[in-house]
Amino acid sequence: MSPDTRPDPDKLLALVRHDGGEGVPRRGRLKVFFGASAGVGKTYAMLSEARLRLRDGVDVVSGVIEHHGRRETQALMEGIPVLPMLEIDHRGIRLTEFDLDGVLARRPGLVLVDEFAHTNAPGSRHPKRWQDVEELLDNGIDVYTTLNVQHLESVNDQVARLTGVWVRETVPDTIFEAADDIALVDIPSDELLKRLADGKVYVAEGANTRAAENFFKKSNLLVLREMALRRTAERVDAQSDELNAAMGQNEAQLGHKIMLLIGPDPLSTRLIRHAKRMAARGRAPWFAVYLQSDRHETLNEKSRARVEQYLRLAENLGAQVVRLSGAQPARDILTYARQNGFTRIMVGHRRIRWWLKPFRTAFAQQLIENSDGIEISVINGDVAPYSVTENVASSLRPFIARPIDYGVASAAVALATLAGLPFRDKTPSDNLTMLYLTAVVIVAARLGLGPSVVASILSVPAFNFFFAEPYYTFNFYDSYYYITFVFMLVTSLVVGSLTARLSRHARQVSERERETQILYGLTRALSSVRGVDRICEVAISHLSAPYNLAVSLFVDSPEGLGCIPKSAGPEDMKEMSAVRWVATNTQMAGRDTDTLPSASGLYLPLQAENETLGVMGLTPNGNGRRFTGSEILQFETFASLVAGALQRARRSDEAERSKVESENERLRNVLLSSLSHDLRTPLTVMNGSVSLLLKMRKELPRKAMDELTGLWGQLIRLQKFVGNLLNMAAITSGKMTLNFQPYMIQEIIGAALSQVQSTKENRQLRTQIVGNLPMVQIDGGLVEQVFVNLLENAFQHTASDGEIVITAERDADRLRIRISDNGAGLKTGDEARIFEQFQTAQTLSSDRAGGTGLGLAICRGIVQAHGGMIYARNNSDKTGASFIFTLPIVPEMPKEIL
Amino acid sequence: MTDSIRILSIEDEADIRKFLRATLGANDMTVIEAETGREGLRLATSQTPDIILLDLGLPDMDGMEIIRHLRDWTSIPIIVLSARGQERDKIEALELGADDYLTKPFAAGELIARIKVALRHASRPKGDAPFVYDYDGLTIDSAARRVRLDGEDVRLTPIEYRLLSVLARNSGKVLTYASLLKQVWDRHSPDNQTYLRIHTQHLREKLKDDALNPRFIVTEPGIGYRLNP
Repeated sequence: MSPDTRPDPDKLLALVRHDGGEGVPRRGRLKVFFGASAGVGKTYAMLSEARLRLRDGVDVVSGVIEHHGRRETQALMEGIPVLPMLEIDHRGIRLTEFDLDGVLARRPGLVLVDEFAHTNAPGSRHPKRWQDVEELLDNGIDVYTTLNVQHLESVNDQVARLTGVWVRETVPDTIFEAADDIALVDIPSDELLKRLADGKVYVAEGANTRAAENFFKKSNLLVLREMALRRTAERVDAQSDELNAAMGQNEAQLGHKIMLLIGPDPLSTRLIRHAKRMAARGRAPWFAVYLQSDRHETLNEKSRARVEQYLRLAENLGAQVVRLSGAQPARDILTYARQNGFTRIMVGHRRIRWWLKPFRTAFAQQLIENSDGIEISVINGDVAPYSVTENVASSLRPFIARPIDYGVASAAVALATLAGLPFRDKTPSDNLTMLYLTAVVIVAARLGLGPSVVASILSVPAFNFFFAEPYYTFNFYDSYYYITFVFMLVTSLVVGSLTARLSRHARQVSERERETQILYGLTRALSSVRGVDRICEVAISHLSAPYNLAVSLFVDSPEGLGCIPKSAGPEDMKEMSAVRWVATNTQMAGRDTDTLPSASGLYLPLQAENETLGVMGLTPNGNGRRFTGSEILQFETFASLVAGALQRARRSDEAERSKVESENERLRNVLLSSLSHDLRTPLTVMNGSVSLLLKMRKELPRKAMDELTGLWGQLIRLQKFVGNLLNMAAITSGKMTLNFQPYMIQEIIGAALSQVQSTKENRQLRTQIVGNLPMVQIDGGLVEQVFVNLLENAFQHTASDGEIVITAERDADRLRIRISDNGAGLKTGDEARIFEQFQTAQTLSSDRAGGTGLGLAICRGIVQAHGGMIYARNNSDKTGASFIFTLPIVPEMPKEIL
Repeated sequence: MTDSIRILSIEDEADIRKFLRATLGANDMTVIEAETGREGLRLATSQTPDIILLDLGLPDMDGMEIIRHLRDWTSIPIIVLSARGQERDKIEALELGADDYLTKPFAAGELIARIKVALRHASRPKGDAPFVYDYDGLTIDSAARRVRLDGEDVRLTPIEYRLLSVLARNSGKVLTYASLLKQVWDRHSPDNQTYLRIHTQHLREKLKDDALNPRFIVTEPGIGYRLNP
């Protein structure tokens, strides 16, 4: 194998995980029964398969099934437990809805949820049913669902143009693509039409029959069928590509990388869908790019929100979103594209109005001229059936002011006139034009462009009427006034518009400055306080007043979510459930979001470095206020600031705690190492002396020999105790470093058996090796210790002629070792406790741990450090106990290496 | 044992020195004592003992350093005395050229037995010189390249034979995994101990040896293999 085609283990592993392999906790599997239109038999197919699963013993329940009264479908539902639907009272109308919490509480293995694209009744947790399904999957529950192709986000507009029916219930493509299984349910269009004629296809109640007729035309059905087939094929291709990429065969994706330029123009949605289809067909990665140029500053709130909305749509459809900023859009975008290896740029284009042509080059034109190797696709927006009224309105926006503003503008002109009247004969009338100009500037600065234009236009006749002789007529003697009038008009228009723009700009700047001020104040205040409570107080005081909000913080602690301020804890169940949802899902929810939009507050997760610290709740004082996109963006910034501060507080608490702990740890280690040294030396000496004396059997009296033998036994015990103490110290301090090496477990058992040779007395030790055991990757010395400790423990609790059996066998990816004796056994309740430190005969009801009370705790420490488990239980035949532990097996070595 | 066996004990604990003196003296061995590493090195050159007992935890010098110094000029057997749980130290000492190790606390009998093995080993021919091994029915004649078990010829692969002969040449002494890999595979030594395990397992099968109750090849978990003397 050459290095570049070798399988990438991480990628393969990721694929396996994706297949729902070893991931703990496991995410549920999603299977979508996918069809071209209603009536192809998706629900039927889903139920048939569910019945098979039910027969296999899977816990299947039906969450929602729309059988539309079809008898065949109803017959299939028999035998599948049905979960009751939730009844929701919405303004007096009783609606039934899928009971998400019911399913979560019931925790079935598989739940059937019909109509993936369904929009939930108002007041449900999620606006869309696919979001309910996501939550089910997150909770490890498998889901079967059904979907028609027209409900897919990316084909939505195609279907609309094709059939004239605009489907509002859509499912993001990413969700569809993330499904583990897609089952295409397909029947020929003629058959479907026949079914329709036979009345076997349900056509939505109250749906416009004509629209339905329109929809179920053969030509439409053919196209929809093609779309469904193609989408399924694309998915299969994408999967095989994923596999190929992981296997190192990456040709399919060779090259293409698509960039889509997004702007505030509504044309963008069409571009996004188009780009998505193009990317999917070419299996190319695609990026949605928004260039934040100077023009961004002049965009109004609505346009900015639209940009955000388009970027979100692109993200939903699988694009990566990039925001660039630069002063020269075409050049900056091309540079970025070249640096990042894009092969194609897609851009929308609108025809430039004829009178602007000499001054402007179309953006697409600029791109094309400098593209230099990068393919530029231009989508012409003018032929689209989309209305451009909004666009026109937005360019007229500066002129739209409140009527009273125009009144004020007129009044300003009148005031200028009054102010000028006393000076009419004292100064040349030209000077008086300045008065009007001043008025126009003031109006422009205060009221904007529209009123300033009105003021400019009114100024000319007013000047003429009051200050050009003859007074009080619109006639004038001097033809010189023509020039005055024209200049006056032009100057005031130009000055007015400049001032208006400047003042609008200034207002924006001051708005941003206010935001920055709040941000700065908050940052400074947060950095100067300590402790969670103080941080919360600071955050609340800095955010409540400027935004006129009630701020509440829910800080995650071991005791649950604690609300600060304590008085403001929302007693409302709905608010609390939103808070909990945000805390578990770490996504924002509540007011003006997609999740639980009926909550009165907006809830943001407090998240820092992937650590969830709590939830921030923002409830506006006074009803009816909507949070704008940019406000929510600001709130997110604040939330991340607060989260950072809370994290620091948490860290410093932890540091404080760990400092105390490490001090204790150090003391303990000093104590233990001096213990070890001070005990070992005399022990070695005593051991040596006693063993010497024992050799002088012939020279010593018999009584002295007996005493010496007793002393020898106690010495051995003391030695073991010291040894265990030191082992335990190493385990509890976490300083035990494992020296992993491959072993046949027989080798370790053999070594342990020879160690206990001297202490086993007359006990029978048998070893059973079941089958061919693979090697294990272990620290040989430590596992030997486990055997020695378990054997010695067994010795203590069996008669001196007892029998001890060691069994080693393979259990899937582990080795299981059992050491069972025929002694007194364990008393109920001691099975787990015996592995605790210092559990001895005094503290345990059964005299099982015996001796030092450390031996078994050491076993547990060592086995756990190896990633294994250890437990004890009484033998089923009521004679003695078994101690069982497992060790992970090394993966088999490829044969070729040997 | 003749009274000519002279043992250098490098040990800083007076009590242990006393114990060694008593134990070894009772077995007709002469003990030369050194309290520090420097003194030990000096005595090793001036007194040329037959064997060195070296404590690894000396106050003035690192035990490994002493082994390295000694091995620069002499092949006097070195037995390392170490505390329990210091497997890494033992392996390092063995790899630097120490002959054996003893874990404190140890019994007098154990110490005498190890000293005898080390001495016997030291008297054996060095390097690639032919040798004969004969223990409990297993005979190895390196000159004839022949292995017999209970009177029957045993057919070994080249690697198995090399493994067995390296163990036999050092019989009674623990060989670390790393040194076995180096000696058996020579320059092409694989860095994976699994090979060693697998070949050892095959060798055991051919010698009708049971890892659970070894007759010839003994596993020292965490350290290496030893062939019974």
